[in-house]
Amino acid sequence: MTITANKPRKRAAKKPPHVHTTVVIGAGFTGLGTAIKLREAGIEDLVILERADRVGGTWRDATYPGAACDIPSLLYSFSFAKNPNWSRTYSPSAEICAHIEELAERFDLTKDIRFGAEVTSMAFDKAEGRWTVETAGGTAYLARTVVVASGPLSESSLPKMRGIEDYQGAKIHSARWDHDFDFAGKDVAVIGTGASAIQIIPELVKTAGSVKVFQRTAGWVLPRVDVETPDVAKAVFAKLPLAQQAARTALYLGHEAAATGLVWDTPVTTLIQKAGLLHLRLAVKDKWLRRQLTPDFRAGCKRMLMSSDYYPALQQDNCKLITWPIATLTEKGLRTSDGLEHHLDAIVFATGYDVQLGGPPYPITGAEGAVLQEEWSGYAQAYKSASVHGYPNLFFSCGPNSGPGHNSLLVYVQGQIAYAVAGVRAVVERDLRWLDVRQDVQDEYNVQIQKRLRSTTWMSGCTSWYLTADGRNSSMYPGFATQYLRQMQDFRIADYEVASHSATRLWNASQAPLTAV
Amino acid sequence: MAGMDMELILQKIKDKQWALADIDWDAPGAETITEEFRPKLKAFMADLCWIENVGARGFAALATKAPNPTIAEIYRYFHAEEQRHANAELALMRRWGMLEEDEIPEPSVNIRMAIEWLDTYGDEMPLSVLGTVIPMLEVALDGALLKFLLEEVHDPVCHQVFERINNDESRHIAVDFEVLDMIGHAKARKLAVDFVGNVASPGLIIGALMYVPLLNRTRNNLVGMGMDPERLYTAMARFEKLGSRGEFTHRVPLYQVIRQHASMVINPKHPYHLLANAMVTISEHYPKALFRPIPTWFKELTYEPVTKGVKKGMNAA
Ligand SMILES: Cc1cc2nc3c(=O)[nH]c(=O)nc-3n(C[C@H](O)[C@H](O)[C@H](O)COP(=O)(O)OP(=O)(O)OC[C@H]3O[C@@H](n4cnc5c(N)ncnc54)[C@H](O)[C@@H]3O)c2cc1C
Ligand SMILES: [Fe+2]
Ligand SMILES: [Fe+2]
Repeated sequence: MTITANKPRKRAAKKPPHVHTTVVIGAGFTGLGTAIKLREAGIEDLVILERADRVGGTWRDATYPGAACDIPSLLYSFSFAKNPNWSRTYSPSAEICAHIEELAERFDLTKDIRFGAEVTSMAFDKAEGRWTVETAGGTAYLARTVVVASGPLSESSLPKMRGIEDYQGAKIHSARWDHDFDFAGKDVAVIGTGASAIQIIPELVKTAGSVKVFQRTAGWVLPRVDVETPDVAKAVFAKLPLAQQAARTALYLGHEAAATGLVWDTPVTTLIQKAGLLHLRLAVKDKWLRRQLTPDFRAGCKRMLMSSDYYPALQQDNCKLITWPIATLTEKGLRTSDGLEHHLDAIVFATGYDVQLGGPPYPITGAEGAVLQEEWSGYAQAYKSASVHGYPNLFFSCGPNSGPGHNSLLVYVQGQIAYAVAGVRAVVERDLRWLDVRQDVQDEYNVQIQKRLRSTTWMSGCTSWYLTADGRNSSMYPGFATQYLRQMQDFRIADYEVASHSATRLWNASQAPLTAV
Repeated sequence: MAGMDMELILQKIKDKQWALADIDWDAPGAETITEEFRPKLKAFMADLCWIENVGARGFAALATKAPNPTIAEIYRYFHAEEQRHANAELALMRRWGMLEEDEIPEPSVNIRMAIEWLDTYGDEMPLSVLGTVIPMLEVALDGALLKFLLEEVHDPVCHQVFERINNDESRHIAVDFEVLDMIGHAKARKLAVDFVGNVASPGLIIGALMYVPLLNRTRNNLVGMGMDPERLYTAMARFEKLGSRGEFTHRVPLYQVIRQHASMVINPKHPYHLLANAMVTISEHYPKALFRPIPTWFKELTYEPVTKGVKKGMNAA
């Protein structure tokens, strides 16, 4: 009958759309780690939105020759999801990507990932207590909580250099390597001498006809001892996970010790500089080249570079370091300020990433209609790098003042995951409509952070991508990883204003403190 | 002059970059150089070109002690621009048939000394020393050498080149004297300490021993070519005039010394020249074996407007 046939359809239309417990944005290390830990905490109804068609994040995208981590793999991985099989001290990009893929398998996460789902905006509905997350395909996802894990360095673009439109040769950005371009015998320029460049250059000089390296600022380079992991070690790590944990702890403490020189500007900083200068003196014979490669800022102020093959590569017969400013790009190459034109078959832009000091590129609208990116346009601010007042039920990874200068980012991410999981649990277990960090708590936290930043190397006078245009540091965490982890493991509900679904009464946390989760 | 907007100057510098490739080196006009003038001009151009290169190295040293990051960046450009001037001057020499394939003119003994000094002590000299000596050299070059050259040489390409060089130089000199004034603004005690500390230092003493004959040699060459010594006087007067515009410049002790010294240089009857010319002669006998190998930055000069690939140890980028 027509009536009965219509009935189910009518019901389907009325059925409210599904509200997930959590939406996680991004399927890199952080997104997958978050999902693993949420599941462990009993949160099953989650969905991971990933704009690409595979997991891996940074390590799926960074495929330039020589791409590898510069923190030992034992430490550059999650302690709760180890890999006993790292082939080298510093694993190459493809191996790290394979490890992330293996995590997705091992923890059965793939079923919850929506690939090809690029988040374009999100907004909080205060009355319903939920986020609406819009994606490029038009599909919207509803969730009570959201974890932002879309990466600190996931966007890149060609730099706005004079004449860049005129150049007709190959333009290759290090973050989006063109594997179809054959470098054999070609005259190539590499612009930039940061973390990516020092990995690319030693590989390029092996095949290219010539490599001209255009440097603006010389960085501090420390040797990187990269060796194959002995089979015995792999076997021990596989059979005795505790041995791997011990090795990891040793590395962790070693890096923590470095904080006394890399985070704070101290005599240890000077010692690290001495090591850098010694490395330079041993590796480079020519006095002028050494002068060109000598940094003019305090070690740690910009990212430390780790490489043992960069200096030798620069001295190869087919490689040359050029420190003249680049005046403009031209149809056939580029011109330097010493008046010369360099003809080039390809230019590699190792110019880094579009650092998201002002928040993710997709607009986030808060409980009262404010847009996060507008609030953060001067500088970003959060509480413990994870929560922002006015944006309830939302947890950031790699948020403001969360960056390490001396340790594995993933150690910090583990803290962020623990914090987000505690927050999500609070929402679920207390049946909260919203959980919003108190303004005064957030303000006080930031006053402390800015105070502590003053004596750090990052504020010792260099310009870096850690700082905003007017020199404020809203990216780095001024402290030891241990301090950071301690604060992240301590989720206090009293820091938040909350409203529950069951009782619509507003609980001002200060008046009705709840015990910590 | 005080309160110049350095950001604006930096932007202007970036907007005004030019390259050897902008100039048609084969355009007519080379034939205006007569056979008999050629050798003299060659010696003059060689000196000029190496003095630019020495100035370049001076800016490299200055960049590391600039009072702020913007000025450091400006010096980074000036370093390159002096190199550009030297390259363009080589290209002119090449155009005038003064250089064989791959030939780079020999630097004089006094230049070699200047180079060694810069390489050894340049980076250690404080801002107050470098920031005073360099304006002096710039004014002498800009004021005396270049103007003289343009009057003697009628090749239009040469005029094209020096119009560009002069535009660069006017920005150099403006910044030089602004910084000199900033130096003068420092606490009197610091100025005195910098001065006394360095007058006694081997660096500055050797520097003076190198500077005196270099200047006199150049002066003698110019006068020998028929330059009216009056010109030098005008140039030095300019150094004083520009310096006197700054509110604090007069407080820089080394500025006062150089000013005094300049007035001796321009007075041909001053007994100073007996000493200085003796030093030129002595330096001619300086044993070449004592020079250290020419630093690699000195080998970067080239007259080729376009480079492809890497040639190491050659005069090509
Ligand atoms: C070349 C390189 C080398 C590095 N080496 C080290 C190292 O040695 N040690 C160290 O500690 N750190 C290193 N880092 C930092 C590194 O970024 C982090 O360690 C880590 O990979 C971050 O993981 P993530 O999951 O937070 O972000 P990502 O790995 O960037 O993953 C984010 C994911 O989110 C997806 N995404 C982004 N925007 C959207 C959107 N709008 N919608 C849907 N999905 C989206 C991306 O496609 C990506 O898959 C390196 C970074 C780079 C770029
Ligand atoms: Fe010049
Ligand atoms: Fe100059």
